[in-house]
Amino acid sequence: MGEIPVFFLHGLVYAGLLFLVSSGLTLVFGMMNVLNFAHASFYMLGAYFSYSLLRVTDNLWLSLLICPLLLFLLGALIERYLLRRVHVYGHLHELLLTFGLAYIIAELVKLTWGNYPLGVNLTGFLAGTVNLFGLTYPVYRLFMFACAILISLIMAAILYKTRIGIIVRAAVDDNEMVNSLGINVPRVFMGVFAFGAALSGFAGVIAGPLLSTFPGMATEILIDAFVVIVIGGFGSLGGALIASFMIGELQAFGTLLFPDLSMALIYMLMALVLIIKPSGLFGEEL
Amino acid sequence: MMKQRSYGSFWMWGVFLLIMVVVLPLSVKSYQINLVTEMIIFGLFAVSYNLLLGYAGLLSFGHAMFFGTGAYATAVGLIHIPGLPFFGAVLIGTAASTVVGLALGALLLRHKGSYFALLTLAFNALFFAIATKWHSVTGGDDGLSLDRPDINLGFAQLNMSDINTFYYVTLVVIGSIILYCWYFNRTAMGQTVLLMRENEERMKFLGYNASITRLILFTFTAALAGLAGSFYALFFEFTSLSAISVDMTTIVVLMTFIGGTGSFIGPVLGAAVYIYLQDFLSDITDRWPLVMGIIFILMVLYAPGGLSGIITSLKEAWSKRFRKKGDIGMEGQER
Repeated sequence: MGEIPVFFLHGLVYAGLLFLVSSGLTLVFGMMNVLNFAHASFYMLGAYFSYSLLRVTDNLWLSLLICPLLLFLLGALIERYLLRRVHVYGHLHELLLTFGLAYIIAELVKLTWGNYPLGVNLTGFLAGTVNLFGLTYPVYRLFMFACAILISLIMAAILYKTRIGIIVRAAVDDNEMVNSLGINVPRVFMGVFAFGAALSGFAGVIAGPLLSTFPGMATEILIDAFVVIVIGGFGSLGGALIASFMIGELQAFGTLLFPDLSMALIYMLMALVLIIKPSGLFGEEL
Repeated sequence: MMKQRSYGSFWMWGVFLLIMVVVLPLSVKSYQINLVTEMIIFGLFAVSYNLLLGYAGLLSFGHAMFFGTGAYATAVGLIHIPGLPFFGAVLIGTAASTVVGLALGALLLRHKGSYFALLTLAFNALFFAIATKWHSVTGGDDGLSLDRPDINLGFAQLNMSDINTFYYVTLVVIGSIILYCWYFNRTAMGQTVLLMRENEERMKFLGYNASITRLILFTFTAALAGLAGSFYALFFEFTSLSAISVDMTTIVVLMTFIGGTGSFIGPVLGAAVYIYLQDFLSDITDRWPLVMGIIFILMVLYAPGGLSGIITSLKEAWSKRFRKKGDIGMEGQER
């Protein structure tokens, strides 16, 4: 049974991706109660931007740097000029707006890059395999996992060690109080939103070469990220981490053991959590 | 006095519309009849969605679950039960979506707001996954083709393969259901729903049970969406994955919001405009959904009342020009 460790690693890799996407989603939700349906669209845009950039420069490191920056800008613009505008109309409008944005971004992607999967070819040492405790494993997957860990550590350091991180966490807890303490919460929120978009885009860039880049990839990971949030609990980063791990492994071993049921397993887990603990494993009681 | 006037114009428009839709098949080509039939079916779908969104304030991104369940149940019924009559198939579709609606409502309605929206979308994805994987029943990617059965009224046989006949049947059945939905908002149950949206705390203190009300409404809208889905399957004589996909949910969200959630007739208007635009735009460009999406976003940003909101404010601006200021206050109270 040499497959089990391999699939375990596959699961870890996907869990890393999922965590990058769902952590931004859960932070934004925790702060402003805005559930961003367009969040996974940033992931998709990251993959597509990177595809185009790689065709020109063939340098993955460059696109790892530039694409998240572009998405940071895009996220900031969307928050400042679209989301903030409908904030006065209430949550329903914010949800509808992000839902509409996700729809438009998907259509724009189809218009620009075509409605078919695109592949990215890796070059250099990332394309090779490595011998790991007697297992042959692709370097790129390990690289993805390392990236996810690195980014998560940076994020944790920002959130728990810096002043801005303290403000963000306080705003997640009680944004009115933070606002009355003289901190510009809307600006902090814009930053968090843009940062979440950049994280999501980063995940897209590293996912591109492994999973194919196609217009449906946003919906796919969005649903998985939603499941992560439901299981981990709303607004909880720790919950998102553990739930990402659960979903990643469940997906990997589901594919190995019950190929036909692998999709349903995740939903079953979600339904189970909903029935037993509706607020999620680490969420506050609603 | 004014109230009478507005009711008068209401009836006038109603009668005008009725005559229009009844004589329509005599005057236009079957292509247009197809379009209008589709508009009526999607009109009901959008009305059922607006009962959730506009009347109960529940934003669901999974309404296609019920639409698709209705469509698939009808198709499966017609394929596997020989000699199943037309309305039997419709009944199977509606019943299936009612049961699904009740079960899911019990599970999902524990949450509100964003959480509810997220869960409905996730469950929609689950239904889509089931429809994709359960090949032996749903046909998977291939979909299911079916034959529209004729209706035997006892004294007459209605030939349903004729689109005009199907149009009239759709008009009578779906039209009367839409009328019932309009009436529903005036029933005690409908008023309770409005009370729940406006002030749930107060409703609870008055002794109403909010969760039961919400569950009944949710199940009711699921049944309506299933009915629309059932007619959708019968109309195209085909059921495919698109009926149960998140895209179908997007369509109904767009229709409802473009038409306007604030009035009863808004979603019907939205469905008509959507179907018409789709037909018109798809001749011009393959990426017509982009245009729809942009219209939707512009509506969300600048006209949250939708088309019916725009019409209402135009009407107000119009009457402002002709009436004194005092009258306008009264009109405001009417709503």
